[in-house]
This record gives sequence, C-alpha cells and structure tokens, in this order.
Amino acid sequence: MTEPGAQAADLELRGITKRFGHLTALAGVDLAAYAGQVLAVLGDNGAGKSTLIKIISGVYHQDDGEIRVAGNHVAFRSPADSRRAGVATVFQDLALVEVLDVSTNMFLGQFPRRGWFIDRKAMEAQSRAFLEEHKVTVASVRTEIGMLSGGQRQIVAIARAMRTGAGIVLLDEPTAALGVRETAHAARLIRELRDQGTTVICVSHDMNFVFGVADRVQVMRLGRVAGVRDVTATTKDEVIGLITGSVSDQPIEEMP
Amino acid sequence: MSQATAGRPPAGRTGGGTARSARPRDRAQWSRYTQQAGLIACVLVLAAVFAARNGTFLSSSNLIELLRSATLYFIVACASTLVLVGGGLDFSIGAVYALGAVITGLLMTHGTPWPLALLAGVAVGVVVGLANAAASIYLGVPPLIATLGTFFVAGGIAVVITGGTDVYGFPNAFISIGAGNVGGIPYLIFYAVIIGVIFHIVLERTVFGYNTRATGGNRGAAAANGIRVARLDMALYATSGAVAALAGILGAARLSTASPSAGGASLTFQVVTAVIIGGTSLFGGTGTIAGSALGAILFAEINNGLQVINVDPLYQNIFIGVILVAAVAIDQYRRKRRYRT
Repeated sequence: MTEPGAQAADLELRGITKRFGHLTALAGVDLAAYAGQVLAVLGDNGAGKSTLIKIISGVYHQDDGEIRVAGNHVAFRSPADSRRAGVATVFQDLALVEVLDVSTNMFLGQFPRRGWFIDRKAMEAQSRAFLEEHKVTVASVRTEIGMLSGGQRQIVAIARAMRTGAGIVLLDEPTAALGVRETAHAARLIRELRDQGTTVICVSHDMNFVFGVADRVQVMRLGRVAGVRDVTATTKDEVIGLITGSVSDQPIEEMP
Repeated sequence: MSQATAGRPPAGRTGGGTARSARPRDRAQWSRYTQQAGLIACVLVLAAVFAARNGTFLSSSNLIELLRSATLYFIVACASTLVLVGGGLDFSIGAVYALGAVITGLLMTHGTPWPLALLAGVAVGVVVGLANAAASIYLGVPPLIATLGTFFVAGGIAVVITGGTDVYGFPNAFISIGAGNVGGIPYLIFYAVIIGVIFHIVLERTVFGYNTRATGGNRGAAAANGIRVARLDMALYATSGAVAALAGILGAARLSTASPSAGGASLTFQVVTAVIIGGTSLFGGTGTIAGSALGAILFAEINNGLQVINVDPLYQNIFIGVILVAAVAIDQYRRKRRYRT
C-alpha cells in the first residue's frame, strides 16, 4: 500500500458494508484519505462509488464497519453529523438555490449575522474577497445562480466547500458538467484545496482529470475495493484494468 | 446572455475587477421590479378608467374606503407571502380567520377580558398552523391537502361552537381597535402598514427570511446546507395561522360581530390570488411583501371601482380570474427568459 510515512489517515473507513434489501452495494470496503492529498475514487457504474460517497456525507448509514475522522470514531446518521465532523460535500446536484445570488449561496446555512439580521455587507465582501483570492470570476456576487452556466455553478459549489474551511472535502463527479476550461479551473481549485492541507476525496469518471489532480487512486468494482495506487506508480491502462476487472489485487466473486 | 465568466483563465486579471461589475447587478435588480412596475401601471390605468367614468372614485373618502377594504386581505397576505416564498401553501387561512374571531368573541361574551380573549384567538391560529406543518412534515401530506383538511376542521369547529350563529355584544374597547380611526384614517390601515413593514423586514433582512427563501427556492439544497427546514415550516405555518386569526379578530372588532361564516373559501382564494398577482411564485423562493400589497390593492380597486361605475359586481370575478392567469403566465415567461435550466 501507499500510505505516506507514519501519518495517520485523516478520514478512514474500515470494513464498510451497505445492503439494500438483497443487494449488497458495498462489501467490507476500506478507504484511507490523507491531509494534503487528493484521493480519487474510480469505478464503473454500479461499483459502489455513489453509495460510498453517501455514507461519508451522512446520507446513508452503513450496516457494518466504522468511520474514523482524525483517528476518532464517528457515526454519521445525517448530513448534519458529517458536516459537524468537518466533511464538506459537493454533491452532484450541487445543492445551490437557483433564485438566490452567489454570495447568499456561498453562505447558505451559515449566514453572517448581526442579531436577527443578515450582515449582507460582510457576506458580499467576504464572498468577493474569497472568490478573488481563488480567481473565480463571476460577474457579480449578486448574480443569481440560475443565471450561471452549469460549469460556473460547479465552481461556485466547490468554492463554497472551500469557504467553509472543512478539513475534508468530498466531491461527487465535479467535472461531469464541465467544459475543457472549466475542468481546468476545477482542477486548479482542487489543487489549491490540497495545498492548504485539506483532505480531498473526488469521485470521477474522467481519467485525464484524475491523473491530473489526484495523488492516489482507489478503484471500486462490484461493491469492493479492486485496488489502491499512487498516481505516479500506475498507468491509465492498469487503472482501466482494475475498473473492468482484468487486473485485480484480490479475487472478486461475480455476484449473481 | 453569459454575464458571468467563471472558468476564464486567471492570467492578467486584476483582483478589483473580477467579482464586481455594476451592469448585470442592475439588470437583475431591474428585472425583479418589472412585475411590480406592471402592477402599478395596472392599478393606475384602472384608476384613470374608473375616475373617468365617475369622479367620486378618486375622492379621499372613497380611496380610504378602498384601502380599508384591502387591509384585512393584505394582513393575511403578508403571512401567506412568507409561506409561499418558503415553498408552502396555506389554504386554511379563511377558516382560521373565522375560528380566531369566534373564539375571541365567545370568550369575551363569557366575561374574559378582551386582551386575553384576543391572545387566545391568536393562539388557536398558531395551533392550527402547527397542525398544518406537522401534517405535511411528519405525515407526508402535501401542504395543499393538509391545509385544505384543516380548512374544513377549523371551519367546522367555528360552526359547532357557535351553533352556526353570529357572536356579538363585545366591549367598546375591543370594538374600537377595529372600528376606530385617527383623523378619518381607520386604525386598520395603520395596522396593515405596521404589519407590512415588519413582514417586509423579516423577509428581506433577517436570517429567518433568507432561510425561508432558500428553502422555498430549493428545499433539498437548503437542508443539505444545514438549514432546519422542518423547524422553518413550523414557524411559517404558525405565523400564517396567527396572522389569519388576528385578521379575523380585527374584522370582528370592526363589524362588532364574530361570524362563523366570515372569511371562508373566498378569503383564502382572494388572499392567495392577491399574493400571486403580486409576483410571489407558486413554486417558492421569490416574492415580495410590496408585490402582495399591490395585489391586494388591485383586488380592492377592482371591487370598489366596478361598484363606483355601476358595473354589476357579479362581473368582478371574471376580471380577477383573467388577471390571475395573466400574472402567472407573465411570471413563467420571465423565469424562462431569466434562468438557464
């Protein structure tokens, strides 16, 4: 395995199992993600990526296995639990409110306030400063999300996760809706996150993107871990082999 | 239409110009007020037509009468605006209007001091509101059905406890809160202005108002970002019930009579229609108190104006129906043009 030195994993999953009726979506899955690294989770449709993401973000609760954040055992029974433990999730649907502007969306659920009132000035100033710092260019922080393109929305959603200062950022298919330029921009933001020392976990289909930003790759297949590789010590061919099952670290019984 | 440029290469961009630019903001602000401008134009054109047919339409006594007839609808509409912006719908308001009034009336006729009786009436409105929220959150009944159910229950209770007859014989102090005036301007108009300003501030400036807009705009996103949407629903429906009951109580004070048949379905429909004509979206997230005020005024103007120019009042519903459909059609058109999907 490729654990960096003696450093403890910032987020660790052990033996995670999740069943839906007769279907076992995850069977004893382990995962370790480290601060200041990007872990990409790859896999074919039905490999268990989405289920895994939903367990880490608190949408689902595992039937078996445990989750540790910075070594401490945690139980995520709701998305709020996950957020409180320092996990910020950028869901594939982005969870943005179309009729509200960029700065309001950046602070959704955590509005700066003065008593009962919104501190709109502070909210806009902080949003603007944050977006400028990360070279995110939207016409105005008062632009409504509904007026932005899909790619611009994705960037705002990533920026929001960065703004919360969460120690662990989980991204579900961050480039699914993006064009070439926007993908490059998203990659840059993710690298910035990593360089700040954030633990980044990124589910993606996009092999070029993964090899561009990830430090390690974990491949899922049929609800199990097919393999974990350092990006520098593997090839796209090997990763594709892990995804399709032609290369395997462990025997995987085909499920009926 | 692309006004935002996320994703442009960062090289050569200076910090100051990146995240601010006046033009799109102005356009967004402007667009928000177009529907209200249209409504104001509508109110003014109708006023000109009515005045041309009968000059007394613009007399101060008629204008005060017009405003007074709009006030109780507007007061209920303030809370309904909040509920609709929050993505809900409260059909029970017409029955709560009657129930609040008869509870307060009965308590007063049985010797309860009027301020206590008033509070009890409002409290009953809160209880109905909480029942609405609970039915939609915990039983999964859509708000339309939950509040339609409580509409019948509350209306039924109002009839049962009064035996279907009007309640009267109230203390003068109570009657004066609804029927009094200062310099010819009814207290009711002042109440409406105060309540309108409070709701405007709540919706536009407070954390509660922002959470309401976010929840109505995208409930899943609001919840995923930590807004407690169930608690918010409770507060919205409780407010709606309280305000509907209060309006019913004020109406009873004005008429010195609490009638179990006051309000009802016609109040519910007129309030919801006024709110929607005022630009509040049936789909949640957008809406203003000022728009609802204009909607209520337009309503009252049509009622009043058609009488002043001697048009059979039976025609007014036809007007209102056409305006409602037109208002929603305009809202849909604006949304389509405004937002990418």
